[in-house]
Amino acid sequence: MRKMIPQRIYVCDDSIDGIFTAIYQAWSSRYGHANIKIEEKYDSGNYSNYELFSEYIPVTTDYAVAVKVAESIQAKISEEAYQMVYHTALSNYQGKADLIYRFLILGFAMGPKIVQHLSNEVVNQVFVLNRKVNNEVHHLLGFIRFTEQENKILTSVIHPQNNVLSLVVPHFADRLPQERFIIIDGNRNMAALHAPGKQWVMIESDEITENIEQEVSCKEAEYQELWKAFFSSIAIVERRNYKLQRNNLPLHFRKDMTEFTPANARSNHSIDRK
Amino acid sequence: MVIQENLSIQRKLEILSDAAKYDVACTSSGVDRKGSGTGMGNSMACGICHTFSADGRCISLLKILFTNECIFDCKYCINRSSNDVVRTSFTPEEVCELTMEFYRRNYIEGLFLSSGILVSPNHTMEQLLRTLVLLREVHHFNGYIHCKAIPGSDPVLIEMLGWYADRMSVNLELPTAEGLKNLAPHKNRKSILKPIRQIQLRREHEQEHLGLPDMQLLRKQISNISKENEFGEMIARQIGLTAYQPRPKSGRHFVPAGQSTQMIIGATKETDYQIMSVSETLYQNFNLKRVFYSAFVNVNQDSRLPATTDGPPLLREHRLYQADWLIRFYGFQTKDLLSEKNPNFNVLLDPKCDWALRHLEMFPVEINKADYYTLLRVPGIGTNSVKRIMMARKSAVLDFRDLKRLGIVLKRAVYFITCNGKMMYPIHINEDFITRQLLEDKGKLPLGLGHDMSYRQLSLFDDFHVSPQTLAKY
Repeated sequence: MRKMIPQRIYVCDDSIDGIFTAIYQAWSSRYGHANIKIEEKYDSGNYSNYELFSEYIPVTTDYAVAVKVAESIQAKISEEAYQMVYHTALSNYQGKADLIYRFLILGFAMGPKIVQHLSNEVVNQVFVLNRKVNNEVHHLLGFIRFTEQENKILTSVIHPQNNVLSLVVPHFADRLPQERFIIIDGNRNMAALHAPGKQWVMIESDEITENIEQEVSCKEAEYQELWKAFFSSIAIVERRNYKLQRNNLPLHFRKDMTEFTPANARSNHSIDRK
Repeated sequence: MVIQENLSIQRKLEILSDAAKYDVACTSSGVDRKGSGTGMGNSMACGICHTFSADGRCISLLKILFTNECIFDCKYCINRSSNDVVRTSFTPEEVCELTMEFYRRNYIEGLFLSSGILVSPNHTMEQLLRTLVLLREVHHFNGYIHCKAIPGSDPVLIEMLGWYADRMSVNLELPTAEGLKNLAPHKNRKSILKPIRQIQLRREHEQEHLGLPDMQLLRKQISNISKENEFGEMIARQIGLTAYQPRPKSGRHFVPAGQSTQMIIGATKETDYQIMSVSETLYQNFNLKRVFYSAFVNVNQDSRLPATTDGPPLLREHRLYQADWLIRFYGFQTKDLLSEKNPNFNVLLDPKCDWALRHLEMFPVEINKADYYTLLRVPGIGTNSVKRIMMARKSAVLDFRDLKRLGIVLKRAVYFITCNGKMMYPIHINEDFITRQLLEDKGKLPLGLGHDMSYRQLSLFDDFHVSPQTLAKY
C-alpha cells in the first residue's frame, strides 16, 4: 500500500500576480503536481470547504516572481497562451487558479501547440472562460454609458461579471482622446481614469465614490431625454420581440444603461457595496 | 403637406427617427480605424451594437432622415408625398450636435444618414454632403458614418460624399424592375444601379491606385449575365460614368466599408429564387458588402399592396438572411438552394437543412477528415464550429464527446456526421426519418417567431408548393 501524502493547498490573492506567485512556489516545491492544489482567495471566504488531510499554505504575492512566470510563459509557450491565461485570471470562475496551474503544466510540456489541444478538458475550459471574458468585453464596448458632469468629466459605472475593466478602457482611451473620463467597476471598488495626453490609470480604493461624485452638467438631462426618445421611436411596433431583445441584451446590463433607467435615476452615481 | 417650423429638437428627432426606422441596415462594421489622437472616434471592423430596441434589432448608429419631406410618391413608403404626416427637417448643425453628444456618451457608434427627397435629388445630396463635411472637418468626428446616395443626383456629389462616409448605400427597394415601376413611379432601376456602379468603380480605382490587395476584387466576375437585363447593361459600363474628382485632403479612403443595399420583401410577388438571384448578382458583380432584406409592413394601408394582417413576413425575411449567409460565407450558390421548380424556401426547415435533405448522398461527413467547405455543409455546424473542429483535430482524433465539449451543437448535425467512422446513434440515413426528427426540434425557429406556427404545421411536407398568394401570408 502506498503511503498517503497529505495534499498541499496554496492559497493566493485573486489576481494574476497572486496566481503566478502561487504557481511558482508550487512548482519549485517539487512536491508533485498531483499532490498540489492552488486556490484563489475571495472576500466571501474560501470556495472549497476546508479539506481534511490537507496542508494550507498562504501565499504572499511577489511581483518579481510573477513577472518571471509571465515571461517564461511568453518565451516557452507563446504570447497567445499568455493572453489566454491572463484573460482566464480575470474571469469570475472559482477555481481559475488551479485551472491555470493545470494549463501551464500541459503548456510547458507541449509548447505553443497547447492552444490547439481543444479536446483536452483543461485547455477547453480555458477556451470557454476566454470566450466569456471576451464576450463581456465586447458587450461593454457598446453598453457602457457616460454621464457628463458639471466639470465636463464623463463618468460611467459598470457592474461586470468578470474583472474586465482593464480590457475595456483602452478602447475608450483611443476613442475619446480629448476627454477626461472615469469608468467605475461597482462590483470591485475599482476605477479607471483617463485624461487627455496622458496614459490612463487604474485605481483600487474604497473611497472611489466620494471623490468623483459631482453635479451632472445642465445639458445632461436633455441629451438623456433625446436618447430615450430616439430609443423608443426607432423600434418597429409591428415587429416587437422582447425575447429577442432580452437574448441580445441581457437584463443585468440594463441597470447601468440610460435608456433602461427612469428619468433622473442616473444623476447620482453610487457603488453597490456588499 | 404640413411642414412644421419651430419644432423642438426632440420632436424632430422623434419624427425623423420614426421615419427612418424601416431602413434595416444599422451595422457599423467593415472598417478598422484607430483614434486620431486629436478628434473623437474610432471604428472596429467587427462593428459594435450599442443597444437593442423593443423589436430586438441592434442599434448601432444614430439612424435618422435628414428630412421626411419628399417629392416622390412610392406606394410603400410612410414618407410618400401623398401622405398627410408632419414634415420637418434637421439642419446640418443639429445633426452634428446630436451625433457628437450621443457619441461622447457612448450611445452610438456613429451616424446613419438617410433622407427624403427635398426639392430635388441634387439639393438633398448637397445637404447631406454639407452635414458630413461639417462633422468630419469642423467637429473632427472620426467615428462611423453610413450615408445614402440619392439616385438621380449629380455623380460629382456622390463621389464627394464617398470621401467623407465609411459606407454608402443605394436602396434597390424592390427585387425586380417591374415591381419598382408599379410601386415607385418616380424611380427606375437604371438610376438606382448607376450610383452603385459608380461607387464600386471608384473604390476599385482607389484600391488599385494604392495597391491594396482586396480579395473581393480578385473574385472573378461572372460574365454570363444576359446583356438584356439592366444588370448586364450596367456591368458593361466599365468607365465613363464620370470623371474622377480630385480627392479632398482628408487622408480618408473612398467608402472604406463598402456599400450595401436593401430590398423590401413581400410587397410584390417575386419568389425567393428571384430575390436570391438578384442578391447573388449584386455580391458578385457589384462587389456589395451586404444586401439587406426588409419584411414588408403595410404602413399606408394602400390597396395596391398586400395587407399584412398577420404581421410582416418575418420568417421569410429570416430564411432569406440565412440563405444570404450561406452564399457569402458557406460556399453555396443560389442554384444549390433554389430553382425555377422549387422557387421558395421551406418555411419549416432552414435552407441548409433543406439542402442537406435533398442531398443525402453526400452524407455522412467524417468529422476527422472532411475539408473546410464540406464541414460547412453540415446542418447545425457554422464557421466558428468548423474552425474549432479543424484546430482540435490536429492534436487528437475527435469523438462525439469531444464535439460536445467544443460547444458544437449536435441536435441537427448528428444525422449527418460520423466521428471516426461511427455515427452517434445507429440510424438510417433516410429522408423521411431525418425530416421527422428535425421537425421535432422547435428550437430551430428564431426567437419570437415560432408562436404562430402550429396551425399550418402539417400542411406542407410531402409536397412543397407554395404560391405567391400563400407566401404573402407568412
